[in-house]
This record gives sequence, C-alpha cells and structure tokens, in this order.
Amino acid sequence: MEELKRLLQYALVYKWLFITGIVLMILMVGFELLGPFIAMLILDNHIKVGGNSIELTPIFQLLGLFFFIKVLHAIFSYYQTVILQKSGALVVQNMRNDIFRHVQKLPIRYFDDLPAGKVVARITNDTESILQMFSIVLPMFMVSALTVGAITVIIFTINLWTGLMMLIFIPLVILWMILYRKYSNDYNHNKRERNSDMNAMINESINGMPIIQIFNREAQIEEEFGALNDNYVKNSKRLINLESATGENLLESFRSLIFAVMVYIFASGFLNDTQALSVGTMYVLVDYITRFFNPLYNIIGQLNIFEEARVAAVKVFELLDAKEEPDDNGRLENFSGSIQFKNVGFSYDGKEKVLEDININVATGETVALVGHTGSGKSSIINLLMRFYDPADGEILFDGRNIKDISRQSLRSKMSIVLQDPFIYSGSLLYNIRLNNKDISEEDARAALVSVGGEHLMDRMDAGIHSELTERGSTLSLGERQLISFARALAFNPKVLVLDEATSNIDSETEQMIQHAMKVVSRDRTTFIIAHRLSTVQHADQILMLDDGRIVEQGNHEKLMQDKKNYAKMYEMQVTGTPV
Amino acid sequence: MFEFLFKLKWFFKENKGRYISILLVLLIVNVLEVIPAQLIGRAIDFISTGEITTMLMWQLISIFAAVILLSYTGGFLWQYLLIGGAVKIESIIRMKLMRKFLMMSPSFFEKNKTGDLMARATNDLRSVHQATAWGVLTLIDSTTFMGTIILAMGITVSWELTFYALLPLPLLAVIEAKLGRKINAAHKESQEAFSHMNDSVLEVVEGVRLTRSYVQEEPEGERFKGMTDSYLNKFMKVERLDALFQPLTIIVTMISFMVAFGYGAVLANRGVITVGDIVTFNIYLNMLVWPMFALGMLFNILQRGNASLTRIDTVLETEDDVNDDGSLIVQDTDMNFDDVSFTYPLSTCQNLKSINIELESGQTLGIAGKTGSGKTTLIKQLLKYYPGGEGRLIIDGMDVAELSRVQLREKIGYVSQENILFSRTVEQNIRFGKPEATDEELMEAIRLSAFDSDLKRMPEGLGTMVGEKGIALSGGQKQRISIARSLIKNPDIMILDDALSAVDAKTEKRIIDNIRESRKGKTTIIVTHRLSAITHADIIIVMDDGEIAEIGTHTELMQNNGWYSTQSMYYQTGGVS
Repeated sequence: MEELKRLLQYALVYKWLFITGIVLMILMVGFELLGPFIAMLILDNHIKVGGNSIELTPIFQLLGLFFFIKVLHAIFSYYQTVILQKSGALVVQNMRNDIFRHVQKLPIRYFDDLPAGKVVARITNDTESILQMFSIVLPMFMVSALTVGAITVIIFTINLWTGLMMLIFIPLVILWMILYRKYSNDYNHNKRERNSDMNAMINESINGMPIIQIFNREAQIEEEFGALNDNYVKNSKRLINLESATGENLLESFRSLIFAVMVYIFASGFLNDTQALSVGTMYVLVDYITRFFNPLYNIIGQLNIFEEARVAAVKVFELLDAKEEPDDNGRLENFSGSIQFKNVGFSYDGKEKVLEDININVATGETVALVGHTGSGKSSIINLLMRFYDPADGEILFDGRNIKDISRQSLRSKMSIVLQDPFIYSGSLLYNIRLNNKDISEEDARAALVSVGGEHLMDRMDAGIHSELTERGSTLSLGERQLISFARALAFNPKVLVLDEATSNIDSETEQMIQHAMKVVSRDRTTFIIAHRLSTVQHADQILMLDDGRIVEQGNHEKLMQDKKNYAKMYEMQVTGTPV
Repeated sequence: MFEFLFKLKWFFKENKGRYISILLVLLIVNVLEVIPAQLIGRAIDFISTGEITTMLMWQLISIFAAVILLSYTGGFLWQYLLIGGAVKIESIIRMKLMRKFLMMSPSFFEKNKTGDLMARATNDLRSVHQATAWGVLTLIDSTTFMGTIILAMGITVSWELTFYALLPLPLLAVIEAKLGRKINAAHKESQEAFSHMNDSVLEVVEGVRLTRSYVQEEPEGERFKGMTDSYLNKFMKVERLDALFQPLTIIVTMISFMVAFGYGAVLANRGVITVGDIVTFNIYLNMLVWPMFALGMLFNILQRGNASLTRIDTVLETEDDVNDDGSLIVQDTDMNFDDVSFTYPLSTCQNLKSINIELESGQTLGIAGKTGSGKTTLIKQLLKYYPGGEGRLIIDGMDVAELSRVQLREKIGYVSQENILFSRTVEQNIRFGKPEATDEELMEAIRLSAFDSDLKRMPEGLGTMVGEKGIALSGGQKQRISIARSLIKNPDIMILDDALSAVDAKTEKRIIDNIRESRKGKTTIIVTHRLSAITHADIIIVMDDGEIAEIGTHTELMQNNGWYSTQSMYYQTGGVS
C-alpha cells in the first residue's frame, strides 16, 4: 500500500489536471445515464398504441433534448480521456526523469551486482506499467465504479424489487470476479512463462546454431523444443477451458438470468396488482441493467494490469530509495598531476581485502604500469583513483590533498580513462569524441582523432566527423573503436590518463596501431596503465607488480628483469612461450 | 484480406470437423441470442395489454432458462474450439520454424538477423494466432450474427424501421478501420520513441564508468529529458486519436436511436408495431454496435495476419544453400586442400584463393595471420557450413562435397571464436559434445582444458547454471568450457579457432601442452593470434588476404624474414619493431 501512497504523491503534482479530468468524467457518466429517461418519457407519455391522433411535436422536442445530451456526453467523453491520459503521462515522465537523475548519482558499487538490463527495466518498462495503470486502469475503474454505483441507486429509486434483486446479484458477480481473476491470472502467468521459455530457447538456438550443428545435436534440440511447445499448448488449453467456461460466456448467462428474474418481477407485480409498472419504466430498467454489465466486462481484463503496476511501482521506489552519493566537497584547482597512495587498503565487501598497504608515488608526467594476474588488485587501484570507491585504510593524495575532500566530479574532470571494452555512444563520431563538452571545438576533436592516427575513420565515412555511428559502433573494428576512445581521452586534455587494459583483447596488428595512439596521448601526462601484455608497459617509469593485493615488485623494466623474479618470469613466458 | 484464409487452407482442411462445428455452433448461438430480447418485448406487451397470466409468465421464464443453458453450452463450445484451433496452428508453425532454423547453414543466419528471425517466431506468430482466432470469429460472427439480428428486427418488428435505423451504423465499421490504421501508425512511432529511450538508458547504465569519468551526468540527464519529452508527445498523439473512438460511437449510435424512437413512435401510433416491439428493437440495436465495430477491426486483423504469415512463409520456403546429399564416410583423416578457392555467398571478392595444404593424419596444423586474412574461412571449409567453392578439399581420399555431413561432423571437435554456451549447467554444456560420456571422461576433459580450479570456485560446481539465466562467466572461463566440450568427444579432428584469446599466457600454455599430450596421433588444427600457441605445429601457414603467404615449420618460417618472423620478434623484443 505504501507504493500507492507514493504514487499518489507523484500524481498530486498535477492535481488540478486530474481534478479537471475527474469532473469531466463525472459529467460524462451523468449524461450517459440521462439518455434512457428520455426514452422512458417518450414511451410512457407520447405513444398511444393504435391511436390515430399523434402529437409528434413533444416527441421531437424530447429527441432534440436527447441529441443535446448525447453531444455533451460525447464531448465530455473526449476531453476527460485526453486530460486524464495527459496527466498520467506527465506523472510517469516525471518519475522517469527522477529515476534517471537518481541513477546517475548512485555509487558505482550499486551497479556491480545489478545487471544493466535490470536498471533499464526499472526506468523504462516498469514505469511503462505504471503509465498503463494511469492511462487504462484508473480511468476505467473510476468510470465503472461511478456507473455501477449510479445505476444501482437509480434502479432502487425506480423499482424496489429490481433493486433488491441487484443486491443479491452484485455480491455474486464480485465473488465471480475474484475467483475468475485468481485462476485466470495463475494460468495466464503459467502460459506466459512457457512462452518466454520457448522464445528464449529459439533465440539461444539461433545464436548457438554453429555449435548445435557441428555436434550433430539438431535432433536433440528439436525434441527438447517440441516438449516445450507441447507443454505450452497444454497450458494454453487449460486457460482456454477456463476462459470459455467462466469468462464472458458466464457473465452473459448472468445477464440473461437477471432479465428472466425481471420478467418475473414485472409480471408478478402486475398479476398481484401490488405494483404495476409502466412500459417506460420497464424499458429503463432493462436498459440500465444492460449498461450495468458493460463496465464489468472491462474491469476483469484490467485487474492484472493494476497488479503489474503495483509490483512495478514497488521496484521503482526501491531503486529510488537507494542511497545517493553526496558530492558536495571542494573543487580541485590548478592540479599539477602528482599523485600519492599512502598505505592504502581496500575491500569491496568489508571482509576480504583486495588491496593492502599500497604505496605509490607518482610525479607529474610519469607513467606507472600496473601488472599482475587477474584478481591481483590492478583494477581496484584504478577504481580508487577515479573515486568509484573510497579506500578503507590510508589515503590517496592529489597534489598533497586527500581526494576524499575533493568533489568526485571535479576530481574526475582532471582525468581521462580508456577502458578495455571501448564504449561507443549512439551519436556521431564527433559526439563520441567530445560528448557534451562545449569547450571542445569541432577542430579540437578533429585534431585529437588525427593525432591518435584515426584520420582514416573520418575519410572513410560519408559525413566525415559528423557521421552517425551504428549501435555500439558495431560496424567498426575493435581497434577502431579503441582509437575513438583514445581520441576522446586526448580531446578532454586531462592531467591524468588511465588506461585500463586498453590493449587487451586485440590482435598484435591492432595493438601496433594503438601503441602509437597511447604514446601520443600519454605524452606529458601522468599516466596509469594496466596491461596483460608486458610488451606494452616496458617503457614505463615505474612498473608495479601486484600479487594478491600487495605490491611485490617495483621499479623500471631493466631493474625488474635483473631481479629475475615474477616479472622476469612472466615476461619471458610471454615473449618466447617458454619459462626461463 | 481473404488471402490469409486461403494460405491456411491446408490447416482448415486438416481440421475440417473442428471448423464445421464452430460454424454450426455459432449459427445456433446467434439465433439463441436473439431470443431474450424477444421474450422481454413480449412480456412487456402482455403486461401493457393486460393479457399476462401466471401460466404465461412461467412459460416465458422456462424458455428463458432453456435459452440460457443452451447459449452457455454453445458459447463454451465455439470458444474452446476456435481458440484451441488458433493455438494449434500457432504451435505447428512454431515447430516448423524451429525445424527450419535447425536445418539451415550459417549463410542463412548471416542474411537474416537474429532479431528478425525471432520476430517471426514471436510477433508474427501472435498476429497469425489473432487472425485465426478473432479474425475467423469476427468473420463468421459479423456475417451470421448481424444477419440474424437484422432478420429478427425486420421480421418481428418492421423492415422499414430496421432499414432507417441501421443506415448510420456502417459508419462505425468505416471509422474503426480508418482510425484503427491511423492509430497503428502513430503507435509504431511512439514505440520507436520508446525504444530510443530504452537504448539511451541502456547506454548510460552500461557505460556508467565512462559517463562518470567524463563527468557527463548532467548533460546525459538533459539528453534523456529530451527523449522522455519526445515519447510523451508521441504517446499523446496516439491517445488523442484513441480518445476519438468513444465520442464517435456515441454520436453514430445516437442517430440510430433517434431514428428508432422517432420513427418507432410514429409506427406504434399507426398500430404497425407494439410498444414491446420498440423495446425489443432497441435491445437489438445495442447488440449490433459491437459486431459493427468488430467488422472494422476485421480488416486490420486479417491484413496484419496475412503480412505476418507471408513473412513466416518466406523463411519457411528458403532453401538451404549447402546441399547435403553426400553419403561417403571417412575413416582416416588425411587432408588435402587441392587448389581450394572460396567466396562467401554475400561477398563481392574471393575470400580464399588457391589454397594448397597437405596434412597427414595425426599432424598438427597452425594457422596465423592478420584479422580478416581468411583463417576462419579456411577451416570452415572443413565443416561443410557453406556451399563448396572451386578446387577440391579431400579427406581420406574423398571429396568433402561427397561426404555425409553428419558423419563428417561426427569426426570433428570444433571450438569457435565466439564462446557459445547454452543456458544449462556446466556439466550439460560440456556433455553437449558427448552426452553419453562417463564421469571419468567428463573430469578428464575438464582437467585438460584447465577448468578444474575454476570449477571448484563455482557456487554449485558442475551443476552451476551458465548462460543467460546463470552466473556470468569470464571470457576465459567460457573458452575453456567450450574446449572441454570438444575434448570430451575425443574427436579425430580437433579445431581450435582462436579459442584461447581470453586465456592468460600461462593457462594457454597448460592447455596447449595438455592437448599435445592427449591428442598424440590425432589431427589438430589451431588458429591463433598468439604465435606461441603454434610453435610446436608440424605445419604452420600464414594467411594473408585469402592466400597462403608462408608455409613451413616454426624454424623454417623464422628464417623466412616474413610476417611470421617479424611478429615473433615483435613479441620477443617487446614492441620495438
């Protein structure tokens, strides 16, 4: 229920719009229900069966009134829909923008255990469910409640017996709604699950087709899929059985049953002379009963949308409640580029230490290489440097200032990073180099691309630097995408450059291309390089060999080779393929 | 519009009984549905004229009860049969699609994107379902049900009144068809805006480190706001069109009702009809509104169903371009590329040019060369993935084209460049190579592929789920599971296509040593970027632009002063070339 309260808070931002919509809706329902009365008046007062003299004027006057009522009904109907849709859409748009902004401020830690797809689902799909609730479910509920309520009252005032009969039927119908929804939900859920299992299997089989075929497993896969498919049919049949037996079909029977009871009430009322009804009254009662059932048809279909929206809202608010990282510290001005790690220790989970007693001294413009096996702590050092995380022990100093006291954004604006998997944003080549930074002119961006040796990219594409790149840069090779990352790093003209395994995963040919770019970008800048391949780091001023979160060797290439310890062994192994 | 039904003729023929029953039941139900209104009209007439008696009342009510019971049974039957039929056709086509996919060679999957093929199996299948369920229903219903009601109106009340009152109703069908199409178009646009928004969120989340490093949080937020704005506008466009339905229906039905009452009153006065008739007539009019609306929808449903079915049929009718009529079976694995040239079906230039290699059974072949030089293309010739090119590829003295594909693949263990694992357990993934393998064979394969220490760290060991629904594995782990999957088969020919790229140098060496050791006497082909993986090979070839640029042993190639020795030196000296 908590989530509904919070949704209401979001809705209250547009309370006047909502109120206008609801008022229009009430008017719409009112005018809809006025219609049958006109019919009653005509039937009772102006039709004399078999009579020769007919007064057409009052009939046409009443029909004129009917016309007027219906036109208003139509107008109210249109505007209430549009206004309520708009207010719902605005609420959800607000929510979306809020979550998006919020996500940008969550600590990086949050993303470590949360797959990207899930975050996206919160921001777009779950909010879309909420939108559906605002745009479909809520208006329909309100209209239905208004209509059903008003009709019940009207019927009571017209004829007590019919009203009492409705009082018996209404709980029955509600009971049916609850039961039907419960079972059809279960079955529906089951069916959808089977369906998505099947689709997942088709998708996976298409992607894994070379493997399935090379291992001659087509028959096995076909059999497994056939079983899923049969199972789906079986589940669908159950749902069909349920729906055919207890769905609209049953509700239809209910309605006919009510008509039968009404025949009894009308006729026995006349026979016992207790209460003879006029033709007009009987007509109005029949008409209202028909209208009474229409909203019921609609509601059942919508209840599960409401349920989905509630679940979605819970998830959305959960994300919104995740704690933001405050970023209100002072700025880093006139940074020269000297960095110090003092007895730094760090742990991701508070238990297992991933870094211990790290001491590094980097003078302005120096290049530091971090090497070691996977899991030795290289990336953790970068994470601390960028303040994606803060150290548990010790301190990191930029120009002697503890970075804990510097705003993250200010700190990061002094650094550029190139990651192992070059990331391409949707947008033009130019956008990918300067992003949203207005300080970088098109000329600067062009110059950056040329300096890292990516000129051919501009030449090759039709619109040069303005060419739109495809999704994630899929038409570019890995090396080319990495070149763009380097150009980006260069264009931002940072004091510190971080290369996080920027040359892994690429073949030696591409590596040579990148090596050049790396040299250009790291010139005159403090540079941190993480590399698997030792050949890329041997010119570094300092090489730090990490093992199990500690620095085990430190020095330049020549020194470490002379030490003949782990570094030397690893180096030998990589270049000759045989250990010394 | 009827093309759709015509295309599914085979299905309707196969299920003749089902569809004839549906037709009959619907006809009966339609007639039954007309009766309640008549009963009410009669009751009102009897009451207003004072002719009603207790006996008459109970007669009316019993008829009512009978009609309710029959309608309910009929309603159940047609719904069950009709939707059941739609599910049946859906499952038949789905199975056909899957069988087709399983039969097709890689070039088919290159021509058709996964997303498109998936769309055939999901969205298109759904439209076909819709069209066979609701399309067929509306088709039968809008004709028979409306026919019945109109007949009832004409016969029991008045033909004249019926004619005038129904005059405006076809407008409903026209409005529905036209507006429906417009809404579909607007909806498509709004879906596009939605998926734009989706992509942009995905981008920001996936690139979160980058976005933060470059301090782009604020501007990205602005960019996103632009997208939500655009989505809001497109959404409202749909809703504004959608909001027109109700008022238009109100207006059109209003006209009909005005005619019914105005002219009905005149007729009643003349004594042509009774008051009860007017009531009955109005109930019928109400009953007509929905089928009229549905009639308009019918065009769109059937049209969509037809377009979907056409797309599905196009896939189903595609012929595989590799013919698999070979029947010969190889015993030995001597291999001979005799002047083999090859061009990919979609390529504009030759991808392999006059390849000549002789590999004796049991030898190891190393293949090196730049990205795109034809290494993978060369080994794919062995897998019969593509139609044959020029020249002859001979295995055990027989041309590959004449070999049975299944039998050939039985001999091969292939580890591809992409790490393809399935959403199953680690064990099931490895056993994919040989389901009947013993536990010893399984553990041996894991040891050989150096996956044993990783396995210990898996939360549920061999039973750990991998793939989309399971834990995320590193590239190196995936590669080693793929290798184990091939090794467990102990194939006569093992092919590693750059299968160790994500494994560190030490592990790579261990795996290569294991493979050398365990596969003594069996043919092994290794494609690699790291030359250290193939120094031991009996024959090494260097590919360049689809040709063999260098061929020989490691020692020979090192003296060659070509690409191979340069690359080798480059690594040894550490990047100073």
